[in-house]
Order: sequence, then structure tokens, then C-alpha cells
Amino acid sequence: MKPDLGAPGWRETLPPQRALGCGAPITATAFSADGAIVAFAAGDGGVRRLPAAIDGSALPEADPAHKGAALSLIADPAGPGFVSGGDDGRLLRHDADGTVSEIASHQGRWVERLAGHRGSRTLAASAGKFVLVERAGARREIGPYPSTVSDLDLARDGGRVAAAHYGGVTVTSLGDPAASPRRFAWRGSHLALRWSPDLKFLATGTQENDIHVWRLAQATDMRMQGYPSKVKSLAWSADARFLFTSSQPVFTAWPFAGKGPEGKPPVQFGEEGAGLITVVATHPAGDFVAGGYDSGEIQLGDMQTKRSVVLRLADGSAINCIAWSPDGWKLAAGTQAGDQIVIDLRR
Amino acid sequence: MAQPQVPVTVLTGYLGAGKTTLLNRILSEQHGKKYAVIVNEFGELGVDNDLVVNADEEVFEMNNGCICCTVRGDLIRIIDGLMKRKEKFDGILVETTGLADPGPVAQTFFIDDDVKTQTRLDAIVTVVDARHFLGQLEQGDEAEEQVAFADVILLNKTDLVDEAELARVEAKIRSMNRFARIHRTQKSGIALDAILDKHAFDLNRILEFEPDFLEHGHDHEHEEEIQSFSVSAERPVDPDKFRIWIGALLQLRGQDIFRCKGILAIDGAPRRFVFQGVHMLMESDWGTPWKPGDARTSKLVFIGRNLDVENLRRGFQDCLK
Repeated sequence: MKPDLGAPGWRETLPPQRALGCGAPITATAFSADGAIVAFAAGDGGVRRLPAAIDGSALPEADPAHKGAALSLIADPAGPGFVSGGDDGRLLRHDADGTVSEIASHQGRWVERLAGHRGSRTLAASAGKFVLVERAGARREIGPYPSTVSDLDLARDGGRVAAAHYGGVTVTSLGDPAASPRRFAWRGSHLALRWSPDLKFLATGTQENDIHVWRLAQATDMRMQGYPSKVKSLAWSADARFLFTSSQPVFTAWPFAGKGPEGKPPVQFGEEGAGLITVVATHPAGDFVAGGYDSGEIQLGDMQTKRSVVLRLADGSAINCIAWSPDGWKLAAGTQAGDQIVIDLRR
Repeated sequence: MAQPQVPVTVLTGYLGAGKTTLLNRILSEQHGKKYAVIVNEFGELGVDNDLVVNADEEVFEMNNGCICCTVRGDLIRIIDGLMKRKEKFDGILVETTGLADPGPVAQTFFIDDDVKTQTRLDAIVTVVDARHFLGQLEQGDEAEEQVAFADVILLNKTDLVDEAELARVEAKIRSMNRFARIHRTQKSGIALDAILDKHAFDLNRILEFEPDFLEHGHDHEHEEEIQSFSVSAERPVDPDKFRIWIGALLQLRGQDIFRCKGILAIDGAPRRFVFQGVHMLMESDWGTPWKPGDARTSKLVFIGRNLDVENLRRGFQDCLK
């Protein structure tokens, strides 16, 4: 069962949704592992947890979290709650009952990027030029990398962490601390990093308005150009056939099935949105992609039918983050103006 | 939802010149303003303040093959992060290490769209140690490059030298950069409005620097590597010729041209044409309209190393109608 974007209802009305403003830019959002709770990290340092169901509940008090801005948030890969990072250098665990405990503190470094892998209970957090890894309770610090880590991602099997930095990407084995890291080099500043679900490719979005992709087996690489701005968000389809990118007015994906994207144009589909896509997120299992725009618009695209529908209208404030619920029926998003949005696709 | 751009002041100066003293004063004085400070060595500041952010002074080269296009990626990241805080800032100060070239910091504000949208480069402020400056010039390129880039110079520690020495140092600074405003200070004591919110990179206010343009300096000493140079013309400028000339000039000589700016009277145009550049990067726009009775004078300013003054003068003159 899946949403049918060709059904007339999608064109006539927006799906059920809720937006609660908190007055500070929303920097990250995530659903809990069971999908019952959605959390938002904000520029006032707060992390706010709400029921994912769209009911009449009011905005709860924020968990006492970070001193400056909360910058990153994911579902806790080792528990039912969440993990957040802030510009106060702290990495915090938020239990399901709202208890907050400190996992680590790095004064003077921002904890900007997080990645989790539930099967192996692995958490990776960037803090300056280092990555802190918590794996089944054991801790390890990897680094220093050549520069501040700009993004990180865990392999789908949880066995390796990839970190983007100036000059490329470094992949480090987590199972075998003696294994030497592998460096994939390309000059410049890499802003977003995503490992393909089949583990064959590493993709980055760069400061210089392009996409860089390394083929891990052959250590060959490719570059896709033509973006009007730097590419800060990437998302692979669950089947690894498409790499979706931000920074275009319509859904844009590079085809990786068969011989890969070399010499082919990207797949573009859907209605042209208001502005450029700032964040993309792919459905956890199916053929859907959600995109948030710098205008505040949100669209949902169907890779099969190449249709798209508007889920939220532009309000002038950029979508900073977007996330799918584990069952793929809800979306959460946050805006620069502070709106915390939940959209139910089961209309 | 256009928000006002936050002004960013770049604070440079050789090791021990007094940057930290100045920052401490800005952070501790009661001025009712909120400034974020991006420093390179955390903990050096005595003030405990969560608006102090540590940067690693990370410079990267762009892939476009242009060696001048080095950019501070950490600044892009930090400014983006600061803009996600709930509190809004009256200004951001970026301290560079004593051995840093201010170029990559300034270039970041020309190159990155997000930074350009949210902030504006206000001015480059250089703190000079009156006692040690002449010696520091012998140590390498940094001290002179910091002076060459400056819009405002604090000639600091004036209590540690006598008037004759001070005059020598000031003359030396003037010979390298005669367009910056110099303030003599002790213990970095200066009114904040003399260094903050100066709009030195604001194309719309480039005219406010006009008095400096007219000040024709003395002949520089020829052995000096870094110098500033201005040229003016009464005949209108041919826009196509100028575009070709300045483009080629910055392409070929941009590495040695630290700053350039100018106001042009384009043939037939009702408004002033204003431009400024840092190394090879340039931006330009139409400025205020000429009023009847205005002397339509074009003026250009260059600060750089090994400038071929005669060649620059001739090149510009060839762009005139």
C-alpha cells in the first residue's frame, strides 16, 4: 500500500498536517525508532519531542539541552529516544521519558553531524576534526581528519564510517581498528556525504556547485556539474538506483542502475516548485522522495509515476530539515523561522 | 523574508600587536550590542563568553584552477551555524592568526552565496605594533600584506616609541596603503564606531571614501614592494574597453593586486559605475546618479605588490573615450 499521487484529492487539498512554531530556526528533525515520537532540534538549544500523531497536543517544553544552538539530531541507535549535538560541544542522549544525559563534551568544537546504525547500536558524531563513535557501549575517537568533518555517514551494514572533509572522504573500519583508513581524494570542500545503500558508491555535494561520486570497488570517480548553487543535501533511493540532490527547482536524480550515470542526463520530474530544493529525503523503503524548498514549500514525488504533489505551501522561510517516519507514512520538517511540521500522508 | 545582513569585521595583525586586547575590550565593554567573535585560538581570550567561536582557519583551494580562489570553508560553516541561533547579532568579528593572509577571508565573502545573503563584509581592520612593525616587515610577507588589505589601521602601542619613530612607522604604512584610515592607539583603546560598521566594502557607499582618492600621495620609495596607487581621468570611460582591460589585468596580475576599487564615469551613462576587487575576484554595480554640475571624474585605486604603475596608468588611459 502506498500513496497514489494521481488521485484527485492530492491536487485539491493539502494532506493533514500540523505546524507548531518555536521562534528559533529548526536545525534537525527525526522520528523515534518506533515512529511514535517526532523530535526537533532548534537554534535556541532546545530539543522538543511531540507525539507523531496529528492530534491537538500543544508544543511541549523543550528538553533542557544545549547552551547555544542544537545543531544535529537523530533517533538513538541504541535506545528508544534521541541523540542531539550542539554548538556548545555537547553530545546528549534524550531518553524516552525526557531524561537527558551527556555522552561527551568537546569544548570549543561544534557537534554538527550525527549518524546512527540500529543493528550494531552504532552512533557516530562529528566534533571538529574528530568523529566520536559509540558502538554497543564502547567508545572510540577517530581523527584528526585533514579539516573539520563536514558530514558523515555509516555504511548500511554499520561496519564503516565515512567522513567528508577538505580534499575528499575518508572511510574507516569500525570492526577492525587496525585496518588503515581509505582516502578518496578530490580537491575542494565537500558539504554533504551519502553512502549508497548497496555500498558501491560514495557521493558528496560540493561547495563548487557539483556532485562527486566515487565507485568504491575500482576507486574511480565521476563528477556531475550544472547546479546553480552548492549542493548541501543528497539522498539515495532505498534500492540504490537513484541519487537525489538538492539545489534544483524540481526533483533531480542521477541514475545508478546498470552502467551508472556517466554520459546520461539526470532524471528530473515533478512540478517546478517555488525556489530551489534545500533538502531531500527518500522514503525508507519505497519509491517516494520528499523535497523541502528555500521558499518553505514541500513536495512529494513518486519515482514510478514521475508525479509530484505539493504538501505544504511556500511561506518564505526555508525548509532546513526533513525526515521520514520509519513506516514511511509521515514526514517531519523544520523551517528557518521555527515551524515544526508534521505531515500525514495517509489521507 | 529579507533580514538585514550582519556586518562582519575582519581583524588582522601580527602576533602580539594587540588583537586579543581589542577583542577583550569589545566583549567586555558595556555597549549594549551583541557581537559574535570567531577566533583561531580558543581560550586565549580572557572573557568567558559563549559568543566566542573557535575556527581552525581552514583554507581550501577551489577546483577551478585559480590559485587566488582560496576560501575559508570554516567561516562558511560557522556563519551558517551562527545564523541558526535564536539570538541575532549586531556584528561578527573574525580574528585571523598573526601569520594569516587576509585574502581568503575576504574572498569568502565574494564567493559563497549563503554568506553573501546573510552577512556583509564590513571592513578589514589591522592592528600594527608601533614598536615592532618595521622589524616584522623583515620577517616575511604577512605584516605588510595585513597592512595592504586594511581599511582601518590601529597603530597601537604608541606609548612604547617616541614621536620620531612613530612618524617613521606611519610614513612606512602610508607608503604601502595610503587609503586606510590610521588611528594611533595605546592598549588597543579605540571607540568602537571607529572600527565597526564602516561599510568599506559597500559598493553603494564607496563614494564615502572619495576624499582619500583625491589625496595624491608622495612618491613612493622605489625599493618598496607593496604600494598603493590611484589614477583619475576627466574623459568618459569606454565600458567595453574597460571591461576587457580590468578583466585581463586581474586575471594576469590578480595575485599581486590585493585590493582595487573605483568609480567610473561611463560614456553616456547617467549613473556612476562602482566596482571593487580582492585579488582576482571583482564585483560591480551602478551607483548614484551624476547630478548636473558634478565633475564627471573617474577614479581607480590599487593596492598591491610590484605594481607597474606606468603600465596601469597607460592601460586605464587607453580605456577612455
